[in-house]
Amino acid sequence: MPRVKNANLSRNLWIFLFLLPGLLLFGIFTIYPLIKLLVMSFFDWQIGMDQSSRFIGFQNYLSVLNDPVFAVSLKNVLVYGLVTVPGQIVLGLLIAVLLNKNIKFKVGFRLLFYLPVITSWVIVSLIFRYLFANEGLLNYLLKVCHIIGENIAWLDTPATGLLTAELLGIWKGVGWTMVIFLAALQTIPQELYEAAAMDGCNAWQKFVNITLPSIRRTMLFVVVMLSIGAFNVFTSIKLMTDGGPVHQTEVVLTWMYYKAFDTRKFGYSAALSYIMALIIAAITFIQFKYLQPNETNVSGRLKQ
Amino acid sequence: MNKGKIPFSKMAVHGVLISGVCLTAIPLIYMITTALRPNAKLYEYPPRLFPDSVTLANFRYILFEQNFGGNFINSIVVALGTVVLAAFVASTLAFVIARFEFPGRNLLFSLIMGTMIIPGMVLILPQFELITWLGLLNSRIGLILVYVSWVVPFSTFLMKGFIEDIPHEFDEAVYIDGGSVGTLFRRIVLPLSGPAIITTCIFNFLTAWEEYPWALTVINDTEKRTLPIAIAGFFGEHNFTQWGYVFAMSLLSLIPVVVIFIFLQRFFISGLSSGAIKG
Repeated sequence: MPRVKNANLSRNLWIFLFLLPGLLLFGIFTIYPLIKLLVMSFFDWQIGMDQSSRFIGFQNYLSVLNDPVFAVSLKNVLVYGLVTVPGQIVLGLLIAVLLNKNIKFKVGFRLLFYLPVITSWVIVSLIFRYLFANEGLLNYLLKVCHIIGENIAWLDTPATGLLTAELLGIWKGVGWTMVIFLAALQTIPQELYEAAAMDGCNAWQKFVNITLPSIRRTMLFVVVMLSIGAFNVFTSIKLMTDGGPVHQTEVVLTWMYYKAFDTRKFGYSAALSYIMALIIAAITFIQFKYLQPNETNVSGRLKQ
Repeated sequence: MNKGKIPFSKMAVHGVLISGVCLTAIPLIYMITTALRPNAKLYEYPPRLFPDSVTLANFRYILFEQNFGGNFINSIVVALGTVVLAAFVASTLAFVIARFEFPGRNLLFSLIMGTMIIPGMVLILPQFELITWLGLLNSRIGLILVYVSWVVPFSTFLMKGFIEDIPHEFDEAVYIDGGSVGTLFRRIVLPLSGPAIITTCIFNFLTAWEEYPWALTVINDTEKRTLPIAIAGFFGEHNFTQWGYVFAMSLLSLIPVVVIFIFLQRFFISGLSSGAIKG
């Protein structure tokens, strides 16, 4: 085997070898499916060797956009996001600020708040299904406290079914936002608070004028991640209401899944997936545009 | 300064935190006590948070009369397979992107970042067709390959940030000693990026361990089920009623997660915050 004398050549070969596994995996399992999904969305797609698929242009996209259940599922997922994203941020930030006050058992508190995060979606969905059952613990407690007179059919009514999923989303996610905010809070220099105290600022003024501006970058990250996460909601709906009654609690992913694997409308689901990806991309873009910290404020100066 | 006020505000802080912990813990405690309750007592009314009699019968049933061991092994194989393959792919990819200039480098990195915002489930239709075509339906490899494709973007992003911070003086030293790019990776970059690799491995393990929709789609045989679909499947097959068994199974499936969490907690925190602060 001839020795490669040119060091550059050998370096390029190494770079290529190191790129190879990533390129293969990414190309075959992500880029190719992304393109294939686009193709599928223009066909009455059939899965299977012997089946032939018919090109139908934008028909699938029109079906999705004219489908009342898609509209319901999109509305549901947007409401889910509008409830769970602020819910997780406000509660997570509150707990983080309180834990940041050098209190006792800080590590213990942090661990307990984090437990729902590491418990799988399947398990927490089943727990909530049991808690919110007609004869379940929650209805019983509400009746004992005379808040309700009759059992509420939490999971059998569209509005309360979604509300249950939203409560679950917040309950499971608060620990995550708390840990992230706690890390960000610890990077704020203590001198800022001391200076503000000398100027006679109260706790709320310090929070609004120092804490919030200092964690803007983290806030953007959290808002973006949680919004994407909201569109990802699937398992909780699937296991708690399964989209029912009559598809009124579907979210986009459960509806996509139902159309593909229960009614074999793969083209429809492909078009739906693309529309959803575009919506997420647009929302993420808008969030970056309007929430990006501008470099002249406190956080900009602190992070250089 | 009003010293009398300090204890009160401290009490208020603890009050808020403790009620928060209670709200967080009650559903989990309810799961544990339901799993410990005799199955006959599940329908007693009023429901109780704490049972008056305790039994391990539900755990015994799940461990010895169900295929729990098989499901557990499936989950371990799939999670470890995902962790190892993803660590290999992401570390090599992050290394070249962080250290070298090559044509298309920025495009590649933007593409990887772009796919991070797409929910993994969006791609399951073409991935389902691809896995069918490869003959990997109903197989653990079919699960692993797709999980790896889901977790590699974030793992690469995290490791790239870490590898960029390793001083470039090391590179020169390695080349002067006659070492190659491969030597640099093996001798310097891999050992020094230990924390980043451990963090990504933990996250990837948890992702694969708890994944539900893709496993639900790909696995048909009961013996090949991973734990999440085994739990949900068991629940459905027993008319949505055998809560004691369901939660006993759930608790057993949480053991590895809790062990990892307790022993590797600092990697969780550092991994989460490095993503937040760099992002």
